Amino acid sequence: MSGREEATDGQVVRAVLAGDTERYAELVTRYRDRYARYAARMLGSADAAEDAVQDAFVRAYDQLAQCRDPDKFVGWFFLILRNRCFAERRRTKDVAPLEAAGAVAAPERPEVPVEIAERRRALQHALLELTPEQREVFVLKHVEGLSYGQIAERLGTSVPSLKMRMHRAYDRLREQLRDRA
Amino acid sequence: MKTCCVALLLVIAGTPVGAQQGLAGRVPPEIATLVRQLATSAAARGIPVEPLIQKAIEGSAKGVPAERVATALRALAAQLDAAAAALQQAGPARPDTAAIAAGAFALNAGLSPRDVTALAQVSRPPYSTAVTLRVASTLAAMGVPAAQTVELVTQTIASGGPATDVLGLPAQVMVGVSHGRGVTPAQAAAGLTRAAAARANAPGQNRPKPPHP
Amino acid sequence: MTDFHPQVKQLLDGELTLAQLPPELRAQGEEALRLLAAVDREPVTLPATLDARVLAELRRRAETPSFWRRLRLRPWTLVPAFAAGAALALLLSSPAPTPATSTVTVRFVLFAPEAQQVTLAGTFNQWDAAATPLVRTGAPGVWAATLILPAGQHQYAFVVDGARWVPDPAAPAVDDGFGRRNSVLSL
Repeated sequence: MSGREEATDGQVVRAVLAGDTERYAELVTRYRDRYARYAARMLGSADAAEDAVQDAFVRAYDQLAQCRDPDKFVGWFFLILRNRCFAERRRTKDVAPLEAAGAVAAPERPEVPVEIAERRRALQHALLELTPEQREVFVLKHVEGLSYGQIAERLGTSVPSLKMRMHRAYDRLREQLRDRA
Repeated sequence: MKTCCVALLLVIAGTPVGAQQGLAGRVPPEIATLVRQLATSAAARGIPVEPLIQKAIEGSAKGVPAERVATALRALAAQLDAAAAALQQAGPARPDTAAIAAGAFALNAGLSPRDVTALAQVSRPPYSTAVTLRVASTLAAMGVPAAQTVELVTQTIASGGPATDVLGLPAQVMVGVSHGRGVTPAQAAAGLTRAAAARANAPGQNRPKPPHP
Repeated sequence: MTDFHPQVKQLLDGELTLAQLPPELRAQGEEALRLLAAVDREPVTLPATLDARVLAELRRRAETPSFWRRLRLRPWTLVPAFAAGAALALLLSSPAPTPATSTVTVRFVLFAPEAQQVTLAGTFNQWDAAATPLVRTGAPGVWAATLILPAGQHQYAFVVDGARWVPDPAAPAVDDGFGRRNSVLSL
């Protein structure tokens, strides 16, 4: 509607807390895709990401009263999604490599050359072999394009510890990719 | 004012550690000393100490002068004693601290020691004394007269439903008041009592008999 | 010796370029860049049906027991109806409490149109008047906070503008021993 300002996140959150449950849909629509790629790379597939994001929105609603700054809903939501992604990996840690491979074997995108698709798949496999913390720093920097400083701020850690984590990740990825080559 | 209260409180017998940490630095020294005195003698008699600590913290948080807090603490200690005595009247078993605390709360809400004894007598598993007393206190605080409160709780227990029937009584009285035009809490409670009595006396139901007072 | 050389890690971090690597590390550098090239940065969009599924789940959660649905709010005092009934009525997640570790979500509401600040103090937060602020809701003059509390009995009061202690107009009240009243909440 022309001339009508969109409600801020804080306004929507407060409306929901005041009892207007239906308005929560505005937040879901607004941020459904924001961290979809992060979740997909963390969990290995878009399907798993869909489940995780849906689940995270429901949990965020349950805990909405504990969102300290309603205007910063999306950052708080990210942490809930992040926990969900970490928990997911803990659950599926014992899955045999073959099943994990199945999760990653998404339908081919015809516009992507086979060779590139193969290399992407191999790297995603290798990523799933890392610890969630290592995978996360790699995804945030190399998929989401954040700087070390930005990642440090978001996760509440220091840049040096992030770099240490990342450098271990690089070595493990190299090892994984060589084994598969 | 900033004298460390922690050392004083660590010697209080039977005080939960969390509560000790709660008092430290939150109340003036003279209050901490009084709490220690009251608590030491209370603990020796099996009286719970936590309500005294909570009341001291509450008084300080509300900015109440120390003199006034001291008066309230002594009054609370007396209520705890009276509650323990009333509960002891209900049976040979030593009253548990949760029930004593709930009993003191009931006295504060306007029930009499005899009411507390009566409620304790009808409480038996799955209806714990502490819960019965808390619910009765809430009903009394809502304006249901004491005698009716006791009657309603007694009949609800007699009707033999789950413990949640008792827990749900305040809410049901609220519903009664909101639904009717000009219905007072007493009247709403009376209606519920009649319904409970009907259930208790319904033929062919296998229900535990209420204990004799 | 499968670890990347530290300078190649700097390349991976974007702190060095390939040209800045010494010749003996070029091959490793190129391998590292091929690794980065294999990163899938394609945006991921999720289906809009997700929204509907989330809302359906929330509606399921918001379902209240039947006797609350019939509740027509009626104030006991002159406070407007929706605020008067609110503190008691909004007991969410109301399956009957089981012993020991159950919790209940409770919404506290106060109608205080002239207040600059409203907080909640009670036995559940050690009467700390600063610990639990209420937030302004969309409705003018209405402040609210939602807490998750353990089952049991709680006493509380609202603190308006840091100084005025106000019991909940809609809740049962008891003497606090200091000449004021506390509100009682039984879960």
